Amino acid sequence: MTTAMQRPPLVRSSDRMIAGVCSGLADHLGWPVKYVRLGMVLASFAGGAGLAFYAWLWVMVPTADESARRNSRRPASPIAPSVSMPPEVTTPDGGERPLPLSAPAPAFASWFRTRPIQYGKEILLGAGLLLVAAILIARQIGVDVPLGTLIPAAAILGGAAIAWMQLDETRRAGLVDKTKADQAGGWVRLAAGLALVVAGVLVMVSGSGSWEQTWLALLASIAVLGGVALVLLPWGLKFWKDLESERAARVRETERAEIAAHLHDSVLQTLALIQRRAGSEQDVVRLARAQERELRTWLYRDAAKDSGLLAERISAAAAEVEDAHGHAVDVVSVGDTEMTDRHEALVLAAREAMHNAARHGGGAVSVYLESSDTGSEVFVRDRGPGFDPDTVPEDRLGVRESIVGRMKRHGGTAVINSSSEGTEVRLRLPVENVDKAENRNGEAR
Amino acid sequence: MMNALSEQVARKVRVVIVDDHAIFRSGLKADLDSRIDVVGEAGTVEQAIAVIAEVHPEVVLLDVHLPGGRGGGGREVISASSAFRPGTSFLALSVSDAAEDVVAVIRAGARGYVTKTISGPEISDAVIRVADGDAVFSPRLAGFVLDAFGTAPAEIADDELDRLSARELEVMRLIARGYSYKEVAKELFISIKTVETHVSAVLRKLQLSSRHELTKWAAERRLL
Repeated sequence: MTTAMQRPPLVRSSDRMIAGVCSGLADHLGWPVKYVRLGMVLASFAGGAGLAFYAWLWVMVPTADESARRNSRRPASPIAPSVSMPPEVTTPDGGERPLPLSAPAPAFASWFRTRPIQYGKEILLGAGLLLVAAILIARQIGVDVPLGTLIPAAAILGGAAIAWMQLDETRRAGLVDKTKADQAGGWVRLAAGLALVVAGVLVMVSGSGSWEQTWLALLASIAVLGGVALVLLPWGLKFWKDLESERAARVRETERAEIAAHLHDSVLQTLALIQRRAGSEQDVVRLARAQERELRTWLYRDAAKDSGLLAERISAAAAEVEDAHGHAVDVVSVGDTEMTDRHEALVLAAREAMHNAARHGGGAVSVYLESSDTGSEVFVRDRGPGFDPDTVPEDRLGVRESIVGRMKRHGGTAVINSSSEGTEVRLRLPVENVDKAENRNGEAR
Repeated sequence: MMNALSEQVARKVRVVIVDDHAIFRSGLKADLDSRIDVVGEAGTVEQAIAVIAEVHPEVVLLDVHLPGGRGGGGREVISASSAFRPGTSFLALSVSDAAEDVVAVIRAGARGYVTKTISGPEISDAVIRVADGDAVFSPRLAGFVLDAFGTAPAEIADDELDRLSARELEVMRLIARGYSYKEVAKELFISIKTVETHVSAVLRKLQLSSRHELTKWAAERRLL
């Protein structure tokens, strides 16, 4: 049922006992994690093969996070489709693939389902203590256990494990990003691991078990380490600085790439279009205006400003009219307010007024929106030859119905003021209920 | 107004254009009408300061974003020049209509702000107006003013600097609605001179007010 194509990628799982190798492997193979772990332990007794295999996988297999990050950089990989497979895949029979930790066949699910290990550290500790107890009992009975080599070896292994876990990718990210307290904890653990390893090596090498000799050796080795650190420190610092500057450069490069991508998608395309339509002045103006608007929104968008409010809707309507007629529609808005059904009507009426202004005015259209606690007002002004609202024929729905009638129905007013110097439509929508109305103007009055 | 303008014809207004795009400078030069005499051009902050000191123009058409100097752009030119050239007025010119850019140059001492899409006759009128010591407000700048000062008129005398009077608010609203000074005057039944007085008063408030919206803007953008 589970074909190679549908296998989740081999990554180290976050459900970890030591480094998440076994559960990751179990996910990948579709086997119960219990058996994988058991197999790994058993293999360890076969001349340490299990240990070596585990260590190799630990080093070579990325964590889930790492892998996701890598794949996101190469979104579609035709060469290795299994690598870029999303984690949740639908099986051919239509059912959802069970979550990574459950067994493949539903009938055996209850048998094979393994809970995420909650007390991993405690279990490891317990196993360690049991081992110590077994060794002590063996000594009592009279079996000769080479404690002299066993204890230092255990110290080295334990220390290395503590230190290496720090360097594991996920922890390393935590070490750099998290708060100072966490960082301090990380350093303490690193130091403890280092101390354990050093002590273990010393005891093993000196081999005598004599305290005085060990003490001397410890002093000597600390002195040597100090000397080496002193020599290597400038190199290390330089290396660290290079790393930092390289990282900063990469961040800048990413930003530049994002800007370049945006410019390519919008500005360069528009410029190409403009070159091809150079003959038609109206098309060129329209393209340039649309591009300007788009670029402006991208450059100067106010992150603090909420979206979906009245001002944004009016601007969107203006952009639409601008595209349709090729005349500039400049919107100035003061204050803002939440959208309601009544405001929806205001936007529609304003849009109709803008359409009329662009169609008949023949020039730039000025739109002014003011929202305050008493209501919202929209003014749409053009510089056209003007018209007499009373002479508009009954059958022309534009002004009479879409603007005046619509505003009246929603408790607002529409006044049309036309002269030979231009026409101005004034739409006013008073606040219905002062208590309910949410004012966004932010002005203390 | 017409009289004032015809007097200007005899005496050409000396103008320096500061913009880092040569193509825009030449286009603007061609757009300006016969009342205006372009006596210098500059493309960077340093050039601008040097040219202004050398030719003593009446009006500087100043791009908000300029290369060079300490990175302050148009603001830097104004603060460097106004010390030894009190007779020079600045009209800010920008493609940017971001509030911080506009308010920054106005607070640095520019007498007005227009966008680069403005037409030839309009910018010529704006230059003449600035040369006469008046302020030039685009609809968008009027919108910023209304946003920053609030749309309620001042009632108490002691926060005079932080609020606009009822009349000033009316004038600002009409400018924001796209009215020219002449149309504002007609609408409010006042003279153009009175409109100009109101606009200058608003400009002074915009430059001097410590109203928290303005200072917050400035502080956030490290303009203070």
